Amino acid sequence: MAHPLDSDQIVDIIIGEIRETVPELADRPIGRADSMADLGVDSIERSEIILATLEAVGLKIPMVQLHGPRNIGELADLIDAKKSG
Amino acid sequence: MPRKAADPIRFAGIGVASGLGHGRAAFREGLFAGRNVFSKLTREGREAPEGEEPFLGVEMPEPPQVLPPRIARTATLTGRVAASVLAEAWEDAGLDAIAPERIGLVVGGSNLAAREQALALAAYAERRAFVPPRHGHMFLDTDLCGLCTAAFPIRGFAMTVGGASASGAVAVVEARNAIRSGRVDACIALGAMQDLGAHDLQALRALGAMGSARFSEAPEKACRPMDADHDGFLYGEAAAALVLCRESVGLSKTYGTLLGAASIADGTRGPEPNHEGQVRAARMALAEAGLTAADIDTVNGHATGTPSGDDTELETYRALKLHHARINATKSILGHGLAAAGAIEAATVLIQMAEGRLHPTRNLETPLDPSFRWVGAAPVDHEIRHALKFSFGFSGVNTALVLGAPEASG
Repeated sequence: MAHPLDSDQIVDIIIGEIRETVPELADRPIGRADSMADLGVDSIERSEIILATLEAVGLKIPMVQLHGPRNIGELADLIDAKKSG
Repeated sequence: MPRKAADPIRFAGIGVASGLGHGRAAFREGLFAGRNVFSKLTREGREAPEGEEPFLGVEMPEPPQVLPPRIARTATLTGRVAASVLAEAWEDAGLDAIAPERIGLVVGGSNLAAREQALALAAYAERRAFVPPRHGHMFLDTDLCGLCTAAFPIRGFAMTVGGASASGAVAVVEARNAIRSGRVDACIALGAMQDLGAHDLQALRALGAMGSARFSEAPEKACRPMDADHDGFLYGEAAAALVLCRESVGLSKTYGTLLGAASIADGTRGPEPNHEGQVRAARMALAEAGLTAADIDTVNGHATGTPSGDDTELETYRALKLHHARINATKSILGHGLAAAGAIEAATVLIQMAEGRLHPTRNLETPLDPSFRWVGAAPVDHEIRHALKFSFGFSGVNTALVLGAPEASG
């Protein structure tokens, strides 16, 4: 069994998916405090990024359970909590 | 002389993509050279069943990227090719001169991205919970309307129309109707790339419509419309965009005029061609043009290379007494573009009109009916004044277009 991912590693996965989905953001510094909406990621792209992240971390939960986070760090923390919980 | 319409509808721009390459220059060069582009199909998702010969046909090079990368990565190959031919036609016609609200788009074709859908289905079969949300709008053919109207200022209307292998010609008819009704001043008829997957190819093979494996070691000989050795059509990736406009609208370029057009149903459910329906469509288009078959100097056939299709079409040529006209078969060079065929073949007629030449018909070694004036292995110089373009589709769709040279229209 691989070492479980922590919240910072989940942040890295989310940021990788953001850069993949929105090529314009390839060179922009992105961190925990950024929100996807503020980065200009549209709602379908946000869903795509979150789904790809869930698959990468091996978590199968309905998307509605991930409403609420205001930035990438909070989203990573929530996914981390769902994984552990 | 043709009846003079008050405000005739003409073709003001062309964009093409096929196995010959992207754009009119590559198309013109390959077309008149009769260059071979047939080979075994290798695009992912087109594999023949185990133990059977690979499918033969034509695949095009990667289209020039006209969409921004963020959009392009979410577009199907069909979508990227549509944007590319639209970009070429748009610039050719100078469509920026027309108000966006006065421009329409008719995309011809249905089930256009079947190959990519089949690949996605296989890729997510074991992990359906992670299906990308975008697939929820990408499976609709109208996704092409969205892509094209997001990338170009088309704000009159956009829609898709289906007519099986006649879809491209049906799009021309509907674009004409939209201009004539006053809904728009210019309208793009786009014959979209029909992206067949292995399942569709095998079904067409099973149906007996597609060429057999007889020529699998000589793909360049396999596509033989109107030749005694024909045994089915061969698939060819293609797409074309034609800009139609009102004569008075002020676009400077004129390839030719749409003098008459008809699209009718003959009451067939399946793939069988129908001679009466074909003749009726031709007579309707000719009547609208104020012409008779005697005025037609050039025929561009549907001519797929299926035995029953070619035989039925020859019966139609005989009934219309087209023995005086020059005839060629564009599918002998491009393969059968299905949804795209009618549009790219209409573009072929217009390009031949401008060049004063007819392209060769590949592999027409023993014409099924030698009493017609076929264009064989070499191109011929020929002034087109009035051309008849046929397109037929499964399920009883028969279309005929009568195209006039610019000077023949007025």
